[in-house]
Amino acid sequence: MLVKFYLNDTLVSYDVRPDEYLAETLRSHGIKSVKVGCNESTCGSCTLLLEGKPVMSCSVLTASIENKHVTTVEGIQEEAAKIAHHFAEEGADQCGFCNVGYALVVYSLKKTIKNPTDEQILDYIVGNLCRCSGLQSQLNAIKAYLKEE
Amino acid sequence: MKVNEYYRASSLEDAYQKLQVSPKNAIVAGGLWMKKMGQSYDSLIDLSKLGLDKISETKDEVVVGSMVAQRDFEDSKIVSFLFAGAPAFAVREVMGVNFRNLATIGGSIMGRYPFSDVITGLLPYDVTLEFYPAQKMSLEEYLNYKGKLNAILVAVHIKKGEGKGFFKKVKTTALDFPIVNIAVAKVNNEYRVVVGARPMVAARSYKAMEYLNNGGKDFAKAAELAVEELSFMDNKDASKEYRVDLAKVYVRRGLEEVSK
Repeated sequence: MLVKFYLNDTLVSYDVRPDEYLAETLRSHGIKSVKVGCNESTCGSCTLLLEGKPVMSCSVLTASIENKHVTTVEGIQEEAAKIAHHFAEEGADQCGFCNVGYALVVYSLKKTIKNPTDEQILDYIVGNLCRCSGLQSQLNAIKAYLKEE
Repeated sequence: MKVNEYYRASSLEDAYQKLQVSPKNAIVAGGLWMKKMGQSYDSLIDLSKLGLDKISETKDEVVVGSMVAQRDFEDSKIVSFLFAGAPAFAVREVMGVNFRNLATIGGSIMGRYPFSDVITGLLPYDVTLEFYPAQKMSLEEYLNYKGKLNAILVAVHIKKGEGKGFFKKVKTTALDFPIVNIAVAKVNNEYRVVVGARPMVAARSYKAMEYLNNGGKDFAKAAELAVEELSFMDNKDASKEYRVDLAKVYVRRGLEEVSK
């Protein structure tokens, strides 16, 4: 079936199976920044923004997003670079597999909650697992990024 | 999961008629548990064009569309005023934000999942489910309904009231299923006690409620009555005995909290 949606503000039209998930669709069309970790709605590596909200793309049926807006990390390059800088500064990344999902969820956090508390930050990122490091360095990096004007 | 057709319904009647075509047709809400179950479907029926993703209120109740995302429910100003925010807090305990932006209130209820924080979090209150074709039943009646209901959940009606709620999810890590979850409320001066994930679907403890609502003041005794009445079991996450111990502690603490 043909599904049209906006990928980083560009209208695309893909022929997909009715049971095809968005992460698979995007990766098969060359968007390899979308990482698939657990592939069962838990780890958050595949996070992207759907209508501006973070979702796990491994669990979004592509057929369900007709005419909707999808943002991957390619759509927020400038902000992603800033987030990556702070992650590097704080030693918050090791293998880097989870970073793309983190970048999108942190970008969404900044857009959604003004001056979040530590508790609100942790609540927002709890669905993104990092198997290499603890959450403290990520928290430090996120707070530094949120302080940026 | 195998799906032959993805069908975008144009109306509730359209969705209902499509549902009747095959026993392997199903309504898709958030679709998260469907993926985990890995079943095959002839048609998945999408309700997203039917405007069921709104929260509204009247003088007496809050009306939550079945397709409202869990995240929108917990963020709703209308919902935040219900019972000191306890129902919203219960939903906030489900996985992460990127999960709750997909999972819906209706999908969580229709699945009658034994691990559900949404069901436990709503069961203390006067919650009525509105179905298509026209039919209403309480959340508790639905949980006790035998078999599969051949109807589409349209909205969840939560009756407003004076009082306060308490919710506790005991879990090993932030993204785990609950070992047990407890919801306690005092609604219009009437105590309500619910224990879920025992690991069976949530249920009210009528013995504890009867004791409390007839003047009983000993919260520890009420908690004992709750664990005597409700059944608990072992599973890979925890033993029956551990669940009972946890339930006793958190029912008592919940009662202390809502009675303040």
